[in-house]
Amino acid sequence: MAAVIEASERISQVHIEGLALMKIVKHCHESLPHMVSGSLLGLEVSGGILEVTHAFPFPDSRAAAGSAAAVSDTMEGDQDGHEYQIEMMRMLREVNVDNNCVGWYQSMYLGIYSTSSLLENQLSYQTDLSPNAVVILYDPMQTTHGKLALKCYRLTEECIRLKENEENAFIDPRKIFEEVPVKLTNPGLVKALLMDVADGVHDDSSNLQLFEKEHNTNRLGSSTVKTTFDRLDLSTNPYLEKHLEFLCGWVDDLAVEQQKMQFYARQLHRDKHRRKDSSAGDAWASSDAPRRMESLLITNQIRSYCEQMNQFTSEGIEKVYLMSGMQKKD
Amino acid sequence: MPQQSPALLFDTTTTTTVFVHPLVLLHILDHHRRRPAGSARVIGTLLGRFDDSGVLVEVTNAFAVPHAERGDEVAIGKDFNKTLWALLQQNSSKQQREVIVGWYSSSPLLSDTSSLIHDFYSTETEDGNPVHLVVDCRLTEENAVTMRAFHSTPILVQGETLGNLFHELPLSLRSNEPEAICVSEMIKSMNDNNETTEREKPPLQISMEQLYELLETACTYVDAVVDGTTPPDTEKGRHIADALATVPRMRPDAMDKLFHESLQDLLMVTYLSNLTQTQIAIAEKLNATLDLQ
Repeated sequence: MAAVIEASERISQVHIEGLALMKIVKHCHESLPHMVSGSLLGLEVSGGILEVTHAFPFPDSRAAAGSAAAVSDTMEGDQDGHEYQIEMMRMLREVNVDNNCVGWYQSMYLGIYSTSSLLENQLSYQTDLSPNAVVILYDPMQTTHGKLALKCYRLTEECIRLKENEENAFIDPRKIFEEVPVKLTNPGLVKALLMDVADGVHDDSSNLQLFEKEHNTNRLGSSTVKTTFDRLDLSTNPYLEKHLEFLCGWVDDLAVEQQKMQFYARQLHRDKHRRKDSSAGDAWASSDAPRRMESLLITNQIRSYCEQMNQFTSEGIEKVYLMSGMQKKD
Repeated sequence: MPQQSPALLFDTTTTTTVFVHPLVLLHILDHHRRRPAGSARVIGTLLGRFDDSGVLVEVTNAFAVPHAERGDEVAIGKDFNKTLWALLQQNSSKQQREVIVGWYSSSPLLSDTSSLIHDFYSTETEDGNPVHLVVDCRLTEENAVTMRAFHSTPILVQGETLGNLFHELPLSLRSNEPEAICVSEMIKSMNDNNETTEREKPPLQISMEQLYELLETACTYVDAVVDGTTPPDTEKGRHIADALATVPRMRPDAMDKLFHESLQDLLMVTYLSNLTQTQIAIAEKLNATLDLQ
């Protein structure tokens, strides 16, 4: 990665430009069902703001291998990807794009983000590139019904310290990742265009309307209005089913991890009677001890999942009451 | 924008309609903003898909190409174009392979250099008929960002090419669902900047209010027609009737059953997730004590 800028202050907000967002969205959607990743370009500006102005995808060398559920592991194609990145950034510099890598993005499947591959990847970004590197997660599956599912995360200092010292210690699962608020910004010209779109300037030509009718296509003007009505969609069951399914999976995984821990703890306990000298702390630090980070990540994932479900169900309940109210009036 | 009749222009060739995705426009505007000092316009390559029937070109992506103009001469970064295109091709999936469909420029003028660049892109596209997209960034015409698409045909006089004739093509913005969501999200965030004081209403409320507004409009229209103040329009009437027909008619008891069932489902899920959360919290506490042993 080309320029490493020494961070003056810790960033507190991420401003993403429409162009970068659209590029991420396009890449993630077109590669479905594969989960993909890419690089973010931008600048750190004063006031603790990280501006993301451009994004480009990583080459999809492992497209065939990754299944839908498995969040792709970018570390694998790293060697190939690194050259690609440098080449890409060199090209983009020629056309005056911000030539500074500020992080990476990845597509997320139904809110799954707390995985060890993401952790390792983000760790390498935050230690090698810049402490202010972030990962932007975009969920192509959840981005429906007028809602944009975009999240920005980074590792906490506590977590980085833990990983760097290779400690196998406990950390509050809530404090592994921290979310950075994301804000959409746009340069003046793009704002002008958006204003036109909002006013419906770009969808007035009459011969196109005929064409639309024949081909049954969406125009931008009409569909921007439509997104607000998509929220009224009543079908919640497929989502809930999927969510419960995943939750079951995570709980099972957690149980397996806990069992490993328990087994190891019991073994330690037995050994303690034989060898009095070694302390428990050393034993947990040894390389064959089960990694505690695994279970902590799963815990974190389950928590965020539950929150997501709660939010979803409360919306669903609102809608159900709304529907019954409307029907009774008739 | 002058509206030429399609019949006048396209009686000899098939009419091609150009669909542009918002990403492309954002890219062009961004590129224009980052143009080198002193240059009036920027150019770049448009990527997309041709429809099989040839009546439709969809522009889904674009990338910038450096170029320099001096008087009648123009230099295009041909190698740049080739390399970047090869790089981009590496990560596009097989089924949605994009091809070069044409080029864009951010200046409103079709100059001599335009036809030179167009000639270059004729060799780059498969069928040798690239689309030229012009986005006017000066904001003078109609006080808006205007865009036009062109095809060109060479003017042949006794087998010699004298120049290019640019035809304007019908052009429309098109966005798929995620793009539309992004755009509406961007419009929203832009409005938020202007009026930060206004508290954010729950999204559901906004949707319902808009729905009521639309119903209100329909009601006033129908009332006006019934009163005889507005002449009736059969097409509008049909649309209203269609909309009314989509409201499902249900018996109250069936409705009640449905209501309770979905409510119970939702409550059950909430209960399960709360239960899990509690369990997780306990597990966490236990886990934390492991260190203290």
